[in-house]
Amino acid sequence: MRNLWNIYKKGLIDENPIFVLALSLCPALAVTTSVVNAFTMGLSVMFVITANNVSVSLIRNLVNPKVRVPVYITSIATIVTFVELVLEAFAPLLYKELGIYLALVVVFAIILARAEVFASKNKVIPSFFDGLGMGSGFTLAMVIIGVIRELLGSGTILGHTVLGAWYNPALIMILPPGAFLLIGYMIGGLKIYEAKKAKKLREVDAQ
Amino acid sequence: MSETHDTHAAHVEKEYSILQIAMNLTIACLVSGIILATTYFITHPIAVEKAKMLEEQAMKDLVAEADTFNAVDGQEGWFSAEKGGSIIAYIVPSESKGYGGTIKIMVAVSTDGKVIDYNILSMNETPGLGDSAAKDFFRDRIKGKASDDLIVVKDPSNKENVQALTGATITSRAVTDGVRAAVDEVTEFTGGK
Repeated sequence: MRNLWNIYKKGLIDENPIFVLALSLCPALAVTTSVVNAFTMGLSVMFVITANNVSVSLIRNLVNPKVRVPVYITSIATIVTFVELVLEAFAPLLYKELGIYLALVVVFAIILARAEVFASKNKVIPSFFDGLGMGSGFTLAMVIIGVIRELLGSGTILGHTVLGAWYNPALIMILPPGAFLLIGYMIGGLKIYEAKKAKKLREVDAQ
Repeated sequence: MSETHDTHAAHVEKEYSILQIAMNLTIACLVSGIILATTYFITHPIAVEKAKMLEEQAMKDLVAEADTFNAVDGQEGWFSAEKGGSIIAYIVPSESKGYGGTIKIMVAVSTDGKVIDYNILSMNETPGLGDSAAKDFFRDRIKGKASDDLIVVKDPSNKENVQALTGATITSRAVTDGVRAAVDEVTEFTGGK
């Protein structure tokens, strides 16, 4: 049980897909202009990555190593198309909102990376938790970026005006360069935090 | 004799192995195809129904006073919005080229050639900049204007024309042009009545 929690937990901070692994930066730039978009995208990716980890883990002994990548991609594409069809039928407004980015989930590096690195070598249950953890970490990162960009770029959170009329929105935060700057600072911040943590550990060891 | 047989067997095995690899991928695609076909079979009718409902809802949102909507004969995609049996507006599809591709718009035009409202059906404009063209504050800049006033300007004090969205002049122009084209079509159709 503890083991599964550790598998889940590492996706949140220690191996956060965006801030630490620096994978799937494209959606982190493209859809984090508002919190709602970032969150829906995060949830879709979480579902796809978890389902794909399970399916890859199930078929890991059946797939010939020579064609494993095409098979994984087929699996991802199937799950994404499934999500698209279901959303189109039951939540057409959300489907419209996500637009082209939903289809792009197929080529997100993080999903294939988890299939290759983890799911193809592990049993179903750990793979499930790995997908869930990576998906949660991705969602967390997307929402954090979304909150900051929406706040600075439009002065709103979830569409509600937070900063009053005195605030002149910094347009750059809505544009991709703003996202690059922000992600850079956040990765830097996380590195400082990690360095401090490591230093503390060393001091404790020394005593 | 046995030697030939051996090479033959090895040859067959190699072929078989490639075939097996190919079969592996084929089966994966087949399974994927079956799953998707089943899903599509179930979700498609619901999706079509939902899309129709949304379209009707969208027309109601455009022309709130109207009670019935009828397709216009001879004009593809046109709908007339009627209130108590008389036509008060036309709902016309329009297209124009924006910053990120085609922008599809549905425009409600009153019988005297003024924009009642419009609705963007699909677009790929920059999130946070160009996609504000679908928001109320930009719609208010277009609503109620006649064809001649539908020109994009960058002067905030100009209330006669359409003020451009900050950082998205191309989108503003595209949407305004699309709306104007619809207004002109309606004016032509009604013969300026």
